[in-house]
Amino acid sequence: MTALPLPAPEPTPTVAPRIGARAVCEALVREGVTTIFGYPGGTVLPIYDVLREFPLRHILVRHEQGGAHAADGFSRATRGVGVAIATSGPGAINLVTGLATAMMDSVPMVAITGNVSRALLGKDAFQETDIVGIALPVTKYATVVMDPDEVPLAVAEAFEIARSGRPGPVLLDFPKDVLQAETSAPHPEPYELRLPGLLRPVRGDVPEADDLAEMIATAERPLILSGHGVQIAGAVGLLREVAERSEIPVAHTLLGIGNIDETHRLSAGYAGMHGWMHANKAIQQCDLLIGVGCRYDDRITGKTSTFAPNARIVHVDVDRSEIGKNVRTDLGIVADAGDLLAALLRRLPQYEPRGEWMAQLAAWREVSGARSWHGSGSWRDGRLSADYVVDQIGEATDHEATLVSDVGQNQMWAARYFGFRHPYRHLSSGGLGTMGYSVPAAMGAALGAPERETWAIVGDGGFQMTMQELATLVQDQIPVRIAVLNNRRLGMIRQWQEIIYDENYHSAELLGPDLVRLCEAYGIPAWRATRPDEVAAVIAEARKAPGPALIDFQLDEAQNVYPMMLPGKGLSDMVEGASE
Amino acid sequence: MTAQRQTLPAGEADAVQRRHVVSALVVDRPGTLNRVSGLLRARSFNIESLTVGTTHEAGKSRMTIAIRGDDGHLRQVLAQLERLIDVLEVTDLSTTPRLELELALVELAPPRGPAEERTVRAALEAAGGEVLFTDDALWRARLTASPDKIDRALEALRGHGLRNLVRAGVVALATTSSTAQDSQNGATQA
Repeated sequence: MTALPLPAPEPTPTVAPRIGARAVCEALVREGVTTIFGYPGGTVLPIYDVLREFPLRHILVRHEQGGAHAADGFSRATRGVGVAIATSGPGAINLVTGLATAMMDSVPMVAITGNVSRALLGKDAFQETDIVGIALPVTKYATVVMDPDEVPLAVAEAFEIARSGRPGPVLLDFPKDVLQAETSAPHPEPYELRLPGLLRPVRGDVPEADDLAEMIATAERPLILSGHGVQIAGAVGLLREVAERSEIPVAHTLLGIGNIDETHRLSAGYAGMHGWMHANKAIQQCDLLIGVGCRYDDRITGKTSTFAPNARIVHVDVDRSEIGKNVRTDLGIVADAGDLLAALLRRLPQYEPRGEWMAQLAAWREVSGARSWHGSGSWRDGRLSADYVVDQIGEATDHEATLVSDVGQNQMWAARYFGFRHPYRHLSSGGLGTMGYSVPAAMGAALGAPERETWAIVGDGGFQMTMQELATLVQDQIPVRIAVLNNRRLGMIRQWQEIIYDENYHSAELLGPDLVRLCEAYGIPAWRATRPDEVAAVIAEARKAPGPALIDFQLDEAQNVYPMMLPGKGLSDMVEGASE
Repeated sequence: MTAQRQTLPAGEADAVQRRHVVSALVVDRPGTLNRVSGLLRARSFNIESLTVGTTHEAGKSRMTIAIRGDDGHLRQVLAQLERLIDVLEVTDLSTTPRLELELALVELAPPRGPAEERTVRAALEAAGGEVLFTDDALWRARLTASPDKIDRALEALRGHGLRNLVRAGVVALATTSSTAQDSQNGATQA
């Protein structure tokens, strides 16, 4: 073979010189960004100085953590990549909780931080911090851009990293003088990105679906456990088709809410620590468990040695390092959830309904529904219970709203009682469990998906962690309806102390402001409900508000979330709690 | 690099603690070492040695990491290492034939007579070593061999004036069976 002469290298194309800050904004626009959440400061002022020139809506948050959560909420509601901006030092550090939240839940996000000028790096300059060093373990990637000519490529690569394969947050740190220096570097074409180390799933057919189809053929009591990966892959429709073709019931994780319409005949419900007993019993009794896009994390499995003891376990994940991490795996398949489901669908015959298995599930469901507080009638006795409030919000909004929950009891009540029908409508910090997530994330979700009503469901503890964003909601008239499930307690702490710590209620009681008067001070319409018969009316009022609105639901302080899997226990020995 | 699609075997993490030699091809840029060592730290692995150097390809470095841990946990950590954007390729060389060498520099008190000198030189030679410098007050020597041969040589030198020691950490290269005999200087074959 004769070597072909190499073509002469083409001259690197350049564009008219502009400063790094403009290159950053151009790159954001090229990536389809419309909204950014930020807080200015000395080192990012070069960006703020040119921001007006670009079609980018900047939402001035009241704290950088709020900006990070808002970008996260924007991402989850739109399936896009949310963007947060913060200045060096404290501003950048305040993003960290939001980055870690997005990392744990595989949410694509790009955080842009300023840093001190290159000559000052490492000199302990004012507001200098090694944010890349801090962010490394809580981001998919973090890097500092030291060369103005690298700016366009760095931003393009950040977005590519954030959204490819298993998504996650990326932090780009720009020394101030990099933002101020001129560069003629053009924006790269997709093929010009240099990311040889980026894991991208093999796309197309998944041959291992043969094995899975065979396992399904011999199973009598199969169950699909579906997680966030199904929605990330945009595979909700495929999941339903596979379920209907194979007649396999579908349970879901917390972040898998919306994978299947909860009223679908094959929906097996929310599983896990505070999931429905019927879903957990199905996991423990099934003979084939097909985990698709879930991590088999400890909130689902409990004690792994007693998890799904009768089942062959299948684990489908786009991230190879997840397979076999937490539970024994009989078949591990590294693939995009959508590709696997499509490949499986092609291999599945139409199954007959699994009469006995579905009848068993229905029998369990009947019992677990009756034993939960909801429907037990306690709220009819005049006490306001959280499940009733969540149920009423679901009913009032036809289960169409985006619902952003916080962390703790409110999160579990939201997951159990809203009655979700659609994907991308339930947002929650599932992995990191970040209190204070809901209000700022709802802000991002409401801006990202304005065609839908957005509700934040939050406890009085989590609300007080990020309530500074009320001002942002007012300034930008962002229509978030906030339902505070107010038991004047850190409810989940109180619940653990009651059940596990012998009623030693230390620091569970939580003083808070008069929320209605607080909202009055902010200019936000607000209502208070203390009785069940007031609930429907205040929800209807809050829905009429053109901008933000808040309802203070005064709950019975002693209400717990049941069932509950105690720490160190398995899915088979759950505490069912008071059924009253 | 694309994720390999593979069907993984059943079974929980093996609880066998042993030494692993991991070879990682990485992008040569600031922060890569931090990312790799940070991930190992987060899982409480104690690094026995870690070497980094350039490769025959521009822009790529090779890390050789010697580490103790149980097989299951390590396998999982290596999969997490592979996820890092700046890590191109990760191989656990522990179960494959490999050439594994380490460099050590030592300072010794001059031998107290011909007998001791013979002992010292024999210990050095057994670990691919040579004396680099001598004067009345000090000898300096180099050892290049597998870590266990260096360990044995140092044990022998300890009673004979060993004063100072610097070890470089292991470097390792996977070998095919045809070059498995190439064990000059005491390189080990797994």
